[in-house]
Amino acid sequence: MSMLNVLLLEGLDIEAIAAELQKKHDEAPQFFMQSPLIVDCSQVAGALEEDASALDFAALKAALLQTGFIPVGVRNAPAALNETVAQGGWAIMRTAPSSSASTNTTADAKDSQQASDVENGNESKQSAQDDAQQIKAPQTMSSMTIERPVRSGQQIYAANADMTILAPTSAGSEVVADGSIHVYGPLRGRVLAGARGNESARIFCQSLQAELIAIAGRYQLLDESDTELKGKPAMIRLEGEKLIIEPLV
Amino acid sequence: MSKVIVVTSGKGGVGKTTSSAAFASGLASQGHKTAVIDFDVGLRNLDLIMGVERRVVYDFVNVINGEATLKQALIKDKRVDNLYILPASQTRDKDALTKEGVESVIEELKKEGFEYIVCDSPAGIEKGAFMALYFADEAIVVTNPEVSSVRDSDRILGILQSRSKAAEEGRTVKEHLLITRYSPNRVEGGDMLSKDDIVEILSVPLIGVIPESESVLQASNSGNPVILDDESEAGKAYMDVVRRFLGEDVPLRFMQVTEEKKGFFSKLFG
Repeated sequence: MSMLNVLLLEGLDIEAIAAELQKKHDEAPQFFMQSPLIVDCSQVAGALEEDASALDFAALKAALLQTGFIPVGVRNAPAALNETVAQGGWAIMRTAPSSSASTNTTADAKDSQQASDVENGNESKQSAQDDAQQIKAPQTMSSMTIERPVRSGQQIYAANADMTILAPTSAGSEVVADGSIHVYGPLRGRVLAGARGNESARIFCQSLQAELIAIAGRYQLLDESDTELKGKPAMIRLEGEKLIIEPLV
Repeated sequence: MSKVIVVTSGKGGVGKTTSSAAFASGLASQGHKTAVIDFDVGLRNLDLIMGVERRVVYDFVNVINGEATLKQALIKDKRVDNLYILPASQTRDKDALTKEGVESVIEELKKEGFEYIVCDSPAGIEKGAFMALYFADEAIVVTNPEVSSVRDSDRILGILQSRSKAAEEGRTVKEHLLITRYSPNRVEGGDMLSKDDIVEILSVPLIGVIPESESVLQASNSGNPVILDDESEAGKAYMDVVRRFLGEDVPLRFMQVTEEKKGFFSKLFG
């Protein structure tokens, strides 16, 4: 649904970018199917400033469309290129506030590695390979908001983020987040918070009717729980190895 | 401006084809030029319900394959003006449907001035159902008051909002919930989900409730869309659905528990 992928360009060869992206896409085709994509030019901004025509934005868009993504916007491109970018059919995204883009531009201009990297969700998370400069960057959590019902058979994942759902989740649906999950409506499907092991993640809901609840890999079927909070507002947290269901007041 | 409406449900046997036939006939009877397309290639039924099975020469797949023109394949209804039926092929299967083919037929219907194009979806979530919903602007999701039907409707709603053309373009498909085979007596007795339960589970606006009625079966068997039977409750309920769809504010009817039951309750509480 409103998943946001960031494609961090590390080179300007469109074919190489498309090939890498296709590989990523094939790992989880369902997951990436028709998902929106933002292109981050912070690592190639130096090269672009030197030669404005080094990257054909219209061709890049066409290549991304072919891999099954929906290209949305470009960010961290040199301001001089704004018009070219817009002409290529792209939106220009405001630079993320906590971004350490300025360090990247100088550091990676010499890095001519032809590869690209897809990341989900978190705006400020940079790829792992440029560790030296990035280690100090704060790991801010972003959040994902879902406004439509999550239907049976749908699976939604908020990578490195909290998830807020403003509608019911149906039996047979699955909502997964690396952070906490808030559901302002009946929670009926499976719900998995702290999917990558964050034990302080919690689940909040207005009406607890879930099939399965899980935090950081500890799971429980709601029907096997003796809680009296079924159908009521509840918060679920992890204490040691045990899931604690508490009233939400 | 033409509108493409898919009638879908996920589960089979809930009344998609009956509802498509009734709904399309109703729209046409209100003066709107309407086409109804059978997407159930290989299990063609719409022509039977519409009573035109002996008039089928060319079908939907022939048109897609360029073996016939749309004009040749469209069957004009003899009872209702403005109503045309595009039957499915009985000798092919769902793989005969292609996105490009379906799109070209829908585009041509729009060009011919059809205001409403009703797509009668097959059951399931496979190719036929997917093709029927892909081009939809609005969807009528048909549900029976039982849990498996509601669950399947939920699933098809998810597909509608994530895989249709509208979803790919960032639009949403307008959803309508149609509950069929509803029996107020059995709801009262606790055997059936109530309409409020279903609306609560699916959170989709309700466009109508069709009561369980013998006239539906009779109408289907005789090849007359039930909406043309203005004596029957089901026919009237379908006409209410059409009027609501066209923007009128019509209260729900036929929701009361029938007489003997009432008598029992009034004896008990009266």
